[in-house]
Formats: sequence, structure tokens, C-alpha cells
Amino acid sequence: MKALILVGGFGTRLRPLTLSFPKPLVDFANKPMILHQIEALKAIGVDEVILAINYEPEQLLVMTNLGIKITCSQETEPLGTAGPLALARDKLVDGSGQPFFVLNSDVISEYPLEEFIAFHNAHGGEASIMVTKVDEPSKYGVLVMEEATGKVERFVEKPKLYVGNKINAGIYLLNPSVLDQIELRPTSIEKEIFPQIAEAEKLYAMVLPGFWMDIGQPRDYIIGLRLYLDSLRKKTPSKLANGPHIVGNVLVDETAEIGDGCLIGPDVAIGRDCVIESGVRLSRCTVMRGAHVKRYSCVSSSIIGWHSTVGQWARVENMSILGKNVNLYDEIYCNGGVVLHNKEIKSDIMKPDIVM
Amino acid sequence: MGSSMEEKVVAVIMVGGPTKGTRFRPLSLNIPKPLFPIAGQPMVHHPISACKRIPNLAQIYLVGFYEEREFALYVSAISNELKVPVRYLREDKPHGSAGGLYHFRNLIMEDSPSHIFLLNCDVCCSFPLPEMLEAHRGYGGIGTLLVIKGSPESASQFGELVADPVTNELLHYTEKPETFVSDRINCGVYVFTPEIFNAIGDVSTQRKDRATLKRVSSFEALQPATRIPTDFVRLDQDILSPLAGKKQLYTYETMDFWEQIKSPGMSLRCSGLYLSQFRLTSPQLLASGDGTSIAIVIGDVYIHPSAKVHPTAKIGPNVSISANARVGPGVRLMSCIILDDVEIMENAVVTNAIVGWKSSIGRWSRVQAEGVYNTKLGVTILGDSVSVEDEVVVTSSIVLPNKTLNVSVQDEIIL
Repeated sequence: MKALILVGGFGTRLRPLTLSFPKPLVDFANKPMILHQIEALKAIGVDEVILAINYEPEQLLVMTNLGIKITCSQETEPLGTAGPLALARDKLVDGSGQPFFVLNSDVISEYPLEEFIAFHNAHGGEASIMVTKVDEPSKYGVLVMEEATGKVERFVEKPKLYVGNKINAGIYLLNPSVLDQIELRPTSIEKEIFPQIAEAEKLYAMVLPGFWMDIGQPRDYIIGLRLYLDSLRKKTPSKLANGPHIVGNVLVDETAEIGDGCLIGPDVAIGRDCVIESGVRLSRCTVMRGAHVKRYSCVSSSIIGWHSTVGQWARVENMSILGKNVNLYDEIYCNGGVVLHNKEIKSDIMKPDIVM
Repeated sequence: MGSSMEEKVVAVIMVGGPTKGTRFRPLSLNIPKPLFPIAGQPMVHHPISACKRIPNLAQIYLVGFYEEREFALYVSAISNELKVPVRYLREDKPHGSAGGLYHFRNLIMEDSPSHIFLLNCDVCCSFPLPEMLEAHRGYGGIGTLLVIKGSPESASQFGELVADPVTNELLHYTEKPETFVSDRINCGVYVFTPEIFNAIGDVSTQRKDRATLKRVSSFEALQPATRIPTDFVRLDQDILSPLAGKKQLYTYETMDFWEQIKSPGMSLRCSGLYLSQFRLTSPQLLASGDGTSIAIVIGDVYIHPSAKVHPTAKIGPNVSISANARVGPGVRLMSCIILDDVEIMENAVVTNAIVGWKSSIGRWSRVQAEGVYNTKLGVTILGDSVSVEDEVVVTSSIVLPNKTLNVSVQDEIIL
């Protein structure tokens, strides 16, 4: 089976992290974002994943040795959310008649893909889409569907009045015949293709069990980590750290070092080769590969980028993001500071600010 | 042998590197700062073409930390264009402003030059290099600094110095003093005789000796080691300050303009300074037009020959338009830099801004700022491929590459 991941563009909402790496390679829960999806696809027998991108593929092609074929489909002009499927047509259609997956790269969830395949085969329609329940549906595209069968009646984009609370979760399973309906031009899958298929009564929606999050921006990335670690607690709690210095759900890479007298958690991910010195307090934060958090400091609700340093007694909080290789000096207070790569911070950031 | 007609001169231009000078972001995120266009030419082009006026110039070296490939294309193009050998030398580690010169001394001395110019790439001035050389020969010292009279406020940001009003000897030098010393400041342009290498070498040796001593004395061993590597030699603290007052260093004062291009806003100011200099030295480079078949041009404006500007547009003062840019009907541009492949649509207004490569500015939109050159948001900066939609107003903001603005913004940094 094949899968296409819509990687899209420059990931500007995740800057400054995406100024150093393309978005698919930005780490989430200690592995590149896109690896979560690729592993889920590989687990159910997908043999080729096509990455639909609109920039140079070199940085992504470092992902070899995953036991699954990765190819890139590069658009030279913006093709929207459906056009890239037409562009990758030759790679997606292998003559076997099997449906193919389409995933949005910013999404994390439990990826119950086997159930999804069973659902698709059972209804016999042309396309299946996963939906998720949200509290504020009017921010998204809402699907109105038949409760019993999941048959989609219509799409309503950002509805002003309540029509339902199920939104597009960005995970699709499509028959090759869908490709016949997509022209190679800027096309929206939500606005043009799916409504057509829904009218023909061939589009079905399955409610995604478990968590769902669009982690394309920092606030949602941090919430997403909490949801992901919650799910890990239920499924494979052995992967989470434990000990007197751990509170709640914490993921620590086996190569990371943690000093004495720390208090770590809840909802923390500490990446490869990180050094957390003694007396450090970490909560609701991500510490990326190679970062160094010096003693007695305190980090909460923030993201510490690759190879950055947090100085002794420093306090980093309130959605601060340190890009790659940022050096935050001792005793500094960083309140919502968004700091670009390779910067040195020698004075306090008293209120949310961007430091270039 | 040794007549001034045969004496060769080598020029060294320090260009810095990518991790230093984050002050020039976001313009330096996608291009090395020395290659950023000022008045239609890469920043480093201005000191390079000034060097061309030096009699018997044998070679120009650019010294910095950027990868060689970032300068390869530029260096071969400029060597061809100006018919003078220009070479980029990469420092493997920081040696300090004088240490870098010393590190490459063998290469520099290959042509047996009688004099060596040292310039900083981000200095914006009239570069009176032949006049400086002449004066230096007269003084007979080992080095001459270009100096300018600065305002008391600005003076403290640079090296302040005191010069003898009669002999022009450098009597006293301090780097970034806290109290007022003098209103004469160091411009960052120097000419030296090869003896300068001995002076730098001596500093290295002294440091090595002191380091050895440190190892021996047990008291010293208890001191925190703020050790500077022995081959790290700073021009200001290690050479200029100690040698001042010893009849070795002299000054040459320029009465023209002088600025340092540290921030993006300053690149707009300096672009204007160079454009007004073109008015005097090479007026053929500037654009002119009266609105009949060519757009109305006010003041000093540079328009690349491949750019297309509609006759109903009004351009200037202080505007620089780069290659393949397209300026539509009814557009008003004032005090701005428009980079390659930008498209500006009908009736838009751009003032006090820098518009990055391939960006597009929509109809009736307005991109503006107050035009205060040394504050963070004093000049609006749009990165590469930014799209400002129709009728949107962008005020005093910085927008990073690849963003689309479909609502107006003010006083914001958009990542």
C-alpha cells in the first residue's frame, strides 16, 4: 500500500525551530515529527511513503534505513491540498487497485490505521476520512454525517451556527478513482474534491478514537505533548520515566543525563544527549537533542531547541521558544521570549518578545 | 628599485561571518551580510571599488568566516568586472581584528607590497584611500587611521582618539569609552606598512610569555582564567592603544560622510548616502525621468536596467530598485530598497522599507515606517517571498520570509 504525506511549505508557524530544520524533522516527543506517522504507516504494511513538499528535498532525503521507501514529490507552484495528489499520481497508482492513505504532516494522533482500513472496506464507498470531536468547531471545517453509517452529507467551512462538532482530522483513505477527479492545478480537497464525493454519497467518516492535535504551532505543540504522553501512559507505560524525581508523564531518552535533586514533569520530553544538571525543575516542556540545562534553573511551558543552553538559576516560562544553539546566560529571566538560532541572551526578557 | 611608481599595494577587507552580527537579521538570514545590496551593489562592492582607485593595487583579499562557496561566485565575477584579482580567505577560527591580518601575512606579502590597506566591510564612507596613502607616506609611521569628527553622542559607540592637530600623530586611543574622551572617532579604515606584522607578532609573543609565567606562579594559578588565545590579537586594544603616542601611528581626517552598517535600517540610510555620492562621482548610474515615457524620478534613485517601472509611477528620493523588479502603474516609492524580482502592483505605496527578493506588494497596499534607522522597527523589513495582499497596510514591522499578510499589521515582528 502507498501513502502520501502533505508536508507543504515552510512551517512558518513553528519558527524559529523551522529556521534550522524543515518542519517534518522538528522533534516531537523525542523523534522527528514525521517519523511518528511513518512508523504508524509502516506498522500496517505501507511499503512506500511519498512526501509532498514545496521546497528542495535534500534535507528530507537523509531519512533512509527506515525499512520503508521514502520518496519526495516536489511542487514547483502551490497546488493546494489536493493538487499534490495529482502531481504524485504515478507513484500512488500501482495497478493493484488498493486505496492509499493521505495524511497531513502537522497532525498527531494514535493512528488506528488498521481499524480505518476495515471501516473503508466495509462501507464500499470511494473515500474515507477520519474526523475528531472538538470543543470549538467553528474554527474549522465541520462534517455533517449520518451517525449510524458515517456517510458524509456535507461539509461546512467555519460554520457560524452549530451544525456539528466533528471536524476533518486530516487522515484520509482514498480509492485510486479519486485521482481521476483531481486536476493538476491548485485545488482544495476540503472545498472541491470531498464535497463532490459526498454529493455522490461515496464519502464516509470515521470518528478518530483517542487524541488528536494539530501541532503546527508552539502552543498546540505543548498541548499535543501532554495528549501524546497521556496516551503513552495507557498503551506502553514502560516507555515513560519513573523515579522519585519524576512527576506525571515524562519521556526521557536513554542517552540523556539527569542530575540529583531535580523535579521533572508533568508532560516533559527530554531528547537524545541532553544534560540536565542538579536541582533543575522542568514542567510542560520539551528539551531537544543536545540541549544543556544548568543547575538550579527552572523551565516551564516552553521549548528548548537543539544544542541550546539554559544557564544556572535561569527561569524560562510562558511559551518561550529557544531556537537551535541559543545560549541563555546564568540567572536570566525569559518570559515568553522567542529567540532565533545562534543568539546569546545576556539580559532578561521581561515580557513576551521576539529576539532576532 | 623602491621608487614609489613601482611600489605595490594590497588591500584586505574584513567581512565577518555568519554567527557574528545577528543584528543584521532578518536580512542576513538568507544572504551573507557583505553581499546585501546597498545602492544597487553588494555591500562589499563599495570598499572594493574604492580600492580600485589606489595606484598600483596588486590584490584585494576578503577575509572572513563564511563558507568559501558563499563568496565563490561573487569573487570571480568582481575580479572579471574590475580587472583586479579579488580572493576570499576563510579564517578557520577567530583571530581577532589584527590576528586575522597576521594569520594571512605570508599570502599578503607575496606581492611584496609596500603598503597594506585594512578595511571593514560594513563601513559606509567615501573611502579617500589614495589621499590616505599619500598622507601616510608623508608621516612615515607604520600605520595611518581614517578618522572623522563625530557627535558627542555617537562618539562613545566607537573607538575615540586624540590626534595632534599639527603632526596628526595618534596620541591616545580608547575603545568604546564610558566617559567622553574626544569627538574624533576611528572609522575602521587603515593603511599600514609591513612593519605592522612585527607589532602584531610581538603581541602574540608577549601573550605567550605571560601565559607561561601564569603556569609557574601559584598565586596567578588561583586567578580565574580569562585566557585569551595567544594568536587572538585585537587591533584596538592590542595595537592602537599601546602604540599611540609613540610616533608610530597617525591619522587622516575625512570631512565626508561616515556610517557603520550594523542594522537593517542603516542599510537604507547608507544606500541613500552612496546614491548621493553617485550624483557627484558617477551620475550616469542614477535614474532620471519626467513621467512622459519614463516614470517621474525625484532625488537620487538607482534602477537596474532590467527592472520595469511604469511611467505613471513616481520614484524617489533615496530609492534603489534591483534586477527584474516590476513597479506597476501609479506606484509611489520613497526611501526604500526594492530587491530582485519584486512585484509592486498598481497604486501601492512603499516608504521607509526594504522589500525582500521575490516579494509581492498588492494593489493600494501601503508598506511604511517612521524611518528611524537605528531602532528595531524604525524601517519596515519584508523578507524573501513575502506577499502583501491588496489594500493591506504594513507599518513599522518585520516580516520573515515566505509569509502572506492578508490583514494589516503594525509594530509587529512576524516570524
